[in-house]
Amino acid sequence: MAKLISLLLKCIMLCGIVGAVFEDQVGKFDWRQQYVGKVRFSHFDAQVQSSKKVLLATENNVFAALNTRTGELLWRQVDKTGPEGNIDALLQHGQDAVLVVGDGRLLRSWETNVGGLNWEVVLDSGSFQSACLVGQHDNVKHVAVLKKTILSLHYLSNGHQKWIENLPESETVDYQAVYSGGNGDVYALGVVPNSHVTIVTYSVDDGEIIKQVSVEAPWLSNIQSSCAMVGQGMLTCVDSATLSLYMLDLHEQSQMAQVPLQSLGLEVAPGFHPVLVSTQPNPARQPLSEFFLQLGPEHYLLLQHNDGQIVTLRDFNPAMLVSFATTGEKTIAAVMSPKNKTACSLNLFSAESGRRLLDTTLIFNMDPNGGKPEKLHVQAFLKKDDSVGYRVIVQTEDHTLTFIQQPGRVMWTREEALSDVVTMEMVDLPLTGTQAELEGEFGKKADGLFSMVLKRLSSQLILLQAWISHLWKMFYDARKPRSQVKNEVTIENLSRDEFNLQKMMVMVTASGKLFGIDSKTGTILWRHYLENIPSNSAFKLMVQRTTAHFPHPPQCTLLIKDKDTGLASLHVFNPIFGKKNHVTPPALSQPILQSLMLPLNDQDYAKVLLLVDDQYKVSAFPSTKNVLQQLQEMASSIFFYLVDSSQGRLSGYRLRTDLSTELIWEVVVPTEVQKIVSVKGKRPNEHVHSQGRVMGDRSVLYKYLNPNLLAVVTESTDTHQERSFIGIMLIDGVTGRIIHEAVQRKTKGPVHIVHSENWVVYEYWSTKSRRNEFSVIELYEGMELYNSTVFSSLDRPHAPQVLQQSYIFPSSISTLEATLTEKGITSRHLLIGLPSGGILSLPKMFLDPRRPEIVTEQSREENLIPYAPELMIRTEWFINYNQTVSRVRGIYTAPSGLESTCLVVAYGLDIYQTRVYPSKQFDVLKDDYDYMLISSVLFALFFATMISKRLAEVKLLNRAWR
Amino acid sequence: MFHRERTPLLWAFFQALLVVAWGFTDVDTGPGAAAAMQSNGDRFKIEGRAIVPGIKTQDWVSSARILVEGEEFVGFLRTDGSFAVNDVPSGSYVVEVITPNYRFEPVRVDITSKGKMRARLVNYIKTSEVIRQPYPLQMRANGPNTYFMKRETWGWTDFLMNPMVMMMVLPLLIIVLLPKVVNTNDPEMRKEMEQSMNMLNPNPELPDVSELMTKLFSGSKGSSKASTSSSKGTRPAVKRR
Repeated sequence: MAKLISLLLKCIMLCGIVGAVFEDQVGKFDWRQQYVGKVRFSHFDAQVQSSKKVLLATENNVFAALNTRTGELLWRQVDKTGPEGNIDALLQHGQDAVLVVGDGRLLRSWETNVGGLNWEVVLDSGSFQSACLVGQHDNVKHVAVLKKTILSLHYLSNGHQKWIENLPESETVDYQAVYSGGNGDVYALGVVPNSHVTIVTYSVDDGEIIKQVSVEAPWLSNIQSSCAMVGQGMLTCVDSATLSLYMLDLHEQSQMAQVPLQSLGLEVAPGFHPVLVSTQPNPARQPLSEFFLQLGPEHYLLLQHNDGQIVTLRDFNPAMLVSFATTGEKTIAAVMSPKNKTACSLNLFSAESGRRLLDTTLIFNMDPNGGKPEKLHVQAFLKKDDSVGYRVIVQTEDHTLTFIQQPGRVMWTREEALSDVVTMEMVDLPLTGTQAELEGEFGKKADGLFSMVLKRLSSQLILLQAWISHLWKMFYDARKPRSQVKNEVTIENLSRDEFNLQKMMVMVTASGKLFGIDSKTGTILWRHYLENIPSNSAFKLMVQRTTAHFPHPPQCTLLIKDKDTGLASLHVFNPIFGKKNHVTPPALSQPILQSLMLPLNDQDYAKVLLLVDDQYKVSAFPSTKNVLQQLQEMASSIFFYLVDSSQGRLSGYRLRTDLSTELIWEVVVPTEVQKIVSVKGKRPNEHVHSQGRVMGDRSVLYKYLNPNLLAVVTESTDTHQERSFIGIMLIDGVTGRIIHEAVQRKTKGPVHIVHSENWVVYEYWSTKSRRNEFSVIELYEGMELYNSTVFSSLDRPHAPQVLQQSYIFPSSISTLEATLTEKGITSRHLLIGLPSGGILSLPKMFLDPRRPEIVTEQSREENLIPYAPELMIRTEWFINYNQTVSRVRGIYTAPSGLESTCLVVAYGLDIYQTRVYPSKQFDVLKDDYDYMLISSVLFALFFATMISKRLAEVKLLNRAWR
Repeated sequence: MFHRERTPLLWAFFQALLVVAWGFTDVDTGPGAAAAMQSNGDRFKIEGRAIVPGIKTQDWVSSARILVEGEEFVGFLRTDGSFAVNDVPSGSYVVEVITPNYRFEPVRVDITSKGKMRARLVNYIKTSEVIRQPYPLQMRANGPNTYFMKRETWGWTDFLMNPMVMMMVLPLLIIVLLPKVVNTNDPEMRKEMEQSMNMLNPNPELPDVSELMTKLFSGSKGSSKASTSSSKGTRPAVKRR
């Protein structure tokens, strides 16, 4: 019988761990936002007048089409990260977009309506220089790709190579540009720096060299930065040293004509390198003879080339950005000029005459928390009355895209900085204003009985008022149809919900822009752009004070560290409103090695942040007297560790009372053999509910719960598949004692690792069997606990028992994290980000080193699953169903107020937020709880008793009469 | 769920022996070694075609990708469903078609240093086993991905088809209907029935089951029961008076 019961239990349990999503839960508490990254090239689809598409190629190696009405993605193609997927050029012709990818390695043509590939060809090796479409007789059929040593021509229809030619004298000449004016010739432009320009003319038909000219140009070093093609094949260059324009007709002349800028009455801003901007609306025709010349950071000129003469059409001063756009036969120039401190105005000018077009002013309001405008992407279209209308995407320094329509209506904005989230935290929302008012009463100092009573009465009155207004609002909303009731989330009406399921997500992006996002809806509530962030910064976000300490505002601290110099700075802000805090952080003049949050509070309940600089000096923030005093008292029990992976050194330090440090242990990993790749501690906010596991024979196996344990992963420097290995070391961070060491031979990284409770799970690539493997290490104290009340690293004489088991995982993984709940009662799941975009929720139960190979009575009693070498991926375990997260880089888990519920945010190119219930929702009623059924049954029973009672009475009465 | 794999495995192994004997020489060249030897050598192309039966290719290719060995190499699908992953050095790779909505089986592709290709089923446990697949690859979706659990719905039919309910309803029907079918006025029949009733009648010395139960419960849990039932019990008692 016991067997039967245990079998039944096991069945229930196995069913129970299938933590899948129900179909009706789609979008109920989860959301996804898709991004593309910083835009490098853009192209509005001008084929059809009513086109709603813009193509974007980005620095994140993404090629996507956006719907211009809504700003949503029509489709998106995500290539490999790194230089191999880098998009070098985007050319559009009709339905097709041609991309040069991976430093000229691949040429791809995309069908832009469907988002599928037309063709892909591999180009010859050589670093990419330039590409252009080649037309002939108003017909574009080819694309020319210029590389360091070769020029090749491909058919647009199928990518086949028409011809490939070696460039003459490519050892000395640096070929940088390719140009075609639609007359059947292709020009390759090269330069020998500070000597001469070489122009080679090829015939489109067979690749024969028609002409090869060398022209003296001792002032020129780079064609792409200082030259442009203008008008009837005029190579126009600008030189900042001689302050002149140089022009060369590719067809005839063999000498450059010099036009000093002074003769045009122009002056270059000191120290500025002038830039030329020209446009070629149709690749089968000549470029326009009008072009922009930028003379200063905010000074542009529209010039026209006319029979060897340069005419100034219009002077734009000040002008921040300019751009050409073409619709039909008309080309216009859009110019953005500053209006006041917070707004810019955009105007259209006719490119031919420089005349301002009427009614084309558009106001762009700059976000005070954003960056400056950086680029304009203009979509011009012909209105019904043949005048030109336009819409524009303004790209700002913080990677934001804002799509504006006349007269300044913002259609949509996309925060593309969110495609590169580096780190994040979830912060509890504050109580509502009224609740906070009541709480605040207790925080203040008491000042007399009478005033206290008054205060209490007034706050109670406020509460009553809020309640009545809430009731009124409910009543009012109930009468309106549901679609009209909008629950707009703003910072003002943010408040914590009953179960603390709604939180503020504070996200830090690589561009230096911070975001505050409501976790329930995904609405961006605040944004803050930090200027002058070095591009290779490392970020660490810490919550110093939570919202629990009203009236003190919550406080987050962002440590920004320049990876090259090691110099760091602190940004202290309020995570709910995003405002910079008035607290002045300490100036950090020395490179910072380590930062740590102490469980100490200052008198304002802010946790103390310790910063260790390269002189091993410690500074505290906040550093009030109170804090320093506490630090002195606590100093003997504050330990920290430093990792120097370049020297393979792991060292432990102790704080002295005078805030200097003392080295107490050191572990050296010889760098010739292996290198330290990661060091993982446990999460400080993790709770472990049960100290041990009950075994089948009713004895208890106690867990080894060392909060100071570090898992150190090393990889071999030898990458040969027979000799490579990865190692894992478990070190006590206080004493430096090595608790356990394991080496996996014939394996290599990258290693993904999770360290929690008494276990470490890591994943690696087995080169021998060519598969991914998971390994789990669990630590146990044994059947008896040494000191069950306090854990001290200094007083644990017995080494823990170590159990380890490994499994095959049928996919590579991108990232690994474990779920986290409030009290740690709920069973744990591993969240695995897969390259396919799925996020797999794998029960930790499958990664248990006690899984037996032979099933016994006891193991069955313990609910251990029999060992199977392969872990399964079941699509029901994907917590994000078909909402895939591209290039998932990190998964953040946070506990909620409900023990059963863990909040999950996966970020990468996309952001996905959801909730998971590792042990199902045991503490709340299920969403599909049938209230109707239970109440109807209750009512039915109630009536049945009433009726039967009546009948019984009647019967009794009848019997009495008898 | 773990035992199911056994038989196909055996069968697969048998086939593998056959195929190995058929003469593919380098079964196990790891990608690492191959890559190391061929660091500046030839690059090859993995080709194939993916089909989702019953769905137009335009409707799904934009969300699909080809992943070779995780994200080591990425390929895209053409508008007709065919694909080619360029620039792959020799080695052994798992090729997957990734779409959010359809399920494809992965295939392992081996490329020799000379550029000879072959495709086989992926088997992570017996990695050297060879079950040939067509090359160029023919990937066929075997249905949409099932991401969702079915909700347990409550319906009258479920309730009625429940075995417990059936067990209760059937005897009820017999009790109600049987007297109507059998003519009870027939004296012969009545006699027969009485006889059978006598036979069925239990031994009077055996304790009654219900009695036993009441004794059992009143003995152990009597006190607690009484306290809970007293509050409920008082009201009807008062009324009856």
